[in-house]
Amino acid sequence: MARLPIGQRIRDSRMASGISQTALARSVGISPSYLNLIEHDKRMIGGALLKRIAGALEVPLGRLSGGDDEGLASEVAELARTLAAPGLDEPAAARFVAQAPDWAAAFVQLHRRYRDATETALALSDRLSQDPALMELSHAVLTQISAIRSFAEILEQYPDLAPEERTRFCSIIAAQSDRLGSSAREMIALLDGAKNTPTPTSPRSEVDDFIHHCGNHLPVLEEAADALRRSLETAPQPLAAAIESRLVQAHGLRIRRGDPAEAASGAGRDVLTLDEGALDSTLRFQLARTLAERELGAAIDGLIQDDRLTSDEARQIARRALANYAAGALLFPYAPFHEAAERSRYDIDRLGQRFAGSFEQIAHRLVTLRRPGAEGVPFAFLRADPAGNTSKPFSIPGLRMPRLGGACPLWALYRALATPDRTIAQLAETPNGEQYLFIARSQSKRAPSFAGAPVSYSVMLGCDAAYGERIVYFDGFASGKRSLATPVGFTCRSCARVGCAQRAQAPVRAGGPAKNEGSQPTAQHGMMAD
Amino acid sequence: MGARILIAEDEPFIVESLSFLLSREGHEVDAVDTGSEALRAVQRRRPDLLLLDIMLPETNGFDVLRRLRAAPGLEELPVMVLTAKGQEADRKRMMELGADDFVTKPFSNRDLLARVASLLGAAARPAG
Repeated sequence: MARLPIGQRIRDSRMASGISQTALARSVGISPSYLNLIEHDKRMIGGALLKRIAGALEVPLGRLSGGDDEGLASEVAELARTLAAPGLDEPAAARFVAQAPDWAAAFVQLHRRYRDATETALALSDRLSQDPALMELSHAVLTQISAIRSFAEILEQYPDLAPEERTRFCSIIAAQSDRLGSSAREMIALLDGAKNTPTPTSPRSEVDDFIHHCGNHLPVLEEAADALRRSLETAPQPLAAAIESRLVQAHGLRIRRGDPAEAASGAGRDVLTLDEGALDSTLRFQLARTLAERELGAAIDGLIQDDRLTSDEARQIARRALANYAAGALLFPYAPFHEAAERSRYDIDRLGQRFAGSFEQIAHRLVTLRRPGAEGVPFAFLRADPAGNTSKPFSIPGLRMPRLGGACPLWALYRALATPDRTIAQLAETPNGEQYLFIARSQSKRAPSFAGAPVSYSVMLGCDAAYGERIVYFDGFASGKRSLATPVGFTCRSCARVGCAQRAQAPVRAGGPAKNEGSQPTAQHGMMAD
Repeated sequence: MGARILIAEDEPFIVESLSFLLSREGHEVDAVDTGSEALRAVQRRRPDLLLLDIMLPETNGFDVLRRLRAAPGLEELPVMVLTAKGQEADRKRMMELGADDFVTKPFSNRDLLARVASLLGAAARPAG
């Protein structure tokens, strides 16, 4: 990740506040010449001094540190790579964002719209070339046109036709024209039905932005969930049972187990159908989310009044994401969960047993442990389906989770797909030499059944290897031997490891020769977890 | 002198226009509307040319062509395939399977007749 020019931000903010260099330098206790060097990015700055400057300028720290813009810069860089424009590298993207943040945001918006349109076009073109009904219809249309054309040409080219032949051919043309009309109407109806097939991705990206902006920690929901749980814990029964009886008694909900797809059409708002094939942890989560939607709706609605969410669709996705957050906060209460996480050294299985949560639920909750003063290890998060499509990206500084397409195929996220129900730990070394700990596992969301379709995802947490000592999954790498690390990249497009055997796309190199490093996947510790 | 031409096409109006056009050229025309019938008719009547639609019911045009080319004595039978526009991939596949020529629907009568004449001419001239 390229460093953003902090100096320029300080200078811009200072000039916007109308404060002279000398005055600012004095108020933060440094010499004007030193401040001048900082403002021209000739000196590194961070920590306490940056905080003091932010305080003196009365601006949020994130605006100066570039934390606010880091996601934006990364997305600009990512789209520059997809455009395969070699001059547009990460430092250039960072400069662009720093100099013209509004334009950069508009640029990203435009690119998202463009992606939506491209995906829609691809989906429609797939449909045209693969949908058997459409193929049959287009064949019929072409055949009808052929008959019309051929008989029209016969009428024109053979003046010696017998009168009855002429009459018959004219009537064939008329009849085929009629059929052509109905074929065309059928085709339009079919394409109309296809209109809703492609789902635009922009609303989801907006929600990702929004969650990112909140740092994936929402004190309002934490407090509301705590209060809700306290009101439930007066009953002498386990939490899940208390949630269920609250839904029944206070909300008049009828809860039944069955096939949710069948129930969705007939059941009203007062019936909650729990998927009978789902795992217990999934069912508990579903109950908690339903209660959060019913009782914490006001808090959630307050949060989604945010400029980052520009459409009803985005707000709806955000509402769902926040209800999931609240459900996590309800089932895995912050203080005891954080304490248990630290004590078990982030052993996800232990936490799963204690709090009755799935790997994904626990992993997701770990990402939200960002309460000031009681912070857990900062984790990034990413999920992939068996086809490799990623979702729910959450990045941390330096470890950017891709939101377009797939990530590096060497990541533990994908290895985990090959070994379901095993936790994979990987010490990943990025091309710039930074090391991260990846913890991944793929798990089914449903109880085993021969007939039912499996629904499975691979879920990965990633954190800076510097936190390794606090994490049980790091123990196998603690010797510090470099050979234990797996050289990885972020995406093929951005990766300079030319010798990589898993390369899926040619790299776009922005200046500088490509590094030819050994890239064989080396160490991975597969730990039997069950 | 006219040739014997077999049309394998399930759309009756296309059969009617093709029959009209080819008869006017002095050919003797027969028609079938499924792939399996086409295979039987070829064995029985030994036509000089087969006009074969790809989207045939039962046995499609690909299978007909594959089996024709594997049948003794039919490897050399000239086959002209009728395809619909936009089936470029199909056309390539048919060529690999041994089709001699293509006509794309909607076709022009003149173009179709010229191609038929050229195929029959080529077939009539012994190689070498």
